[in-house]
Amino acid sequence: MAATADETDETTDESEPDPAPRRRRPGRIATAVSVFGELLITVGVLLGLFVVYSLWWTNVIADRKAGRQADRVRDHWAQEQDSAPGALDTKDGIGFLHVPAMDNGEVLVEKGTGTDVLNDGVAGYYTEPVKATLPMTGKDGNFAVAAHRDGHGAKFHNIDQLEEGDPIVFETRDDWYVYKVYSVLPETSKYNVEVLSSVPEESGKKKPGHYITLTTCTPVYTSRYRYVVWGELVRVEKVDSKRTPPKELR
Amino acid sequence: MYGWIWRHLPGNAWVKALISLVLVLAVVYVLFQYVFPWAEPLLPFNDVTVDNQ
Repeated sequence: MAATADETDETTDESEPDPAPRRRRPGRIATAVSVFGELLITVGVLLGLFVVYSLWWTNVIADRKAGRQADRVRDHWAQEQDSAPGALDTKDGIGFLHVPAMDNGEVLVEKGTGTDVLNDGVAGYYTEPVKATLPMTGKDGNFAVAAHRDGHGAKFHNIDQLEEGDPIVFETRDDWYVYKVYSVLPETSKYNVEVLSSVPEESGKKKPGHYITLTTCTPVYTSRYRYVVWGELVRVEKVDSKRTPPKELR
Repeated sequence: MYGWIWRHLPGNAWVKALISLVLVLAVVYVLFQYVFPWAEPLLPFNDVTVDNQ
């Protein structure tokens, strides 16, 4: 806008040097209206940039961080291969979640579900309000994890692709834990902490067992409700020297 | 507002355009690096956990 005004000034300068071009001062109301308009445009551009930030840039950052942390965990495992198994290292992450139906490769699982953890593009297992039971303990209980639906890696973006019978595989240093989805709750209140309990009754289970619970927000791009998927342990496979994945992942 | 900035930038139209571009990039950088990360937790888009808060 200003550029064209400048150019026309220059051209008028050349074509008619006399009289000197005098810009007519806009009235006060016109100035106010134009400033208001520019502010509106600015707000619009800012909101657009925020969308770009949340849906694209946070993914770039989170994937980079998750990749680095995952490499560290893999390196760690490789070094520990010779030493005696059993020592549980939870600092960088406890293992990887593989969900073929979500079609997003492996998701590192770390401790905690705070934004500082989840914003690194990983899944976190619950410590609050209900403590998740880790599969390597071998105890009955619920391995409850959460991850972002959009932005920050969006690791559970395709959670709605999961159907009953789909495999969820959790990989640790020594074992593959193969779960099968048996129940899906497409929408629940964010206060519904019952879904995390060691026997999640809402999924139809009454007896203790080895369960896994995936939670994220729904509908996409909002956090109004929670989406919950439950799975039950089918079998545990030992990791071999080549880390051959179980048949569900091949 | 933007007209005022344009008129107060030094140089000819090309220099002004270049400076404007640098200014825009600087603003975007500050927004992505500092402002949006600060604003995001205040907005209800990315809570994924169930809790009793």
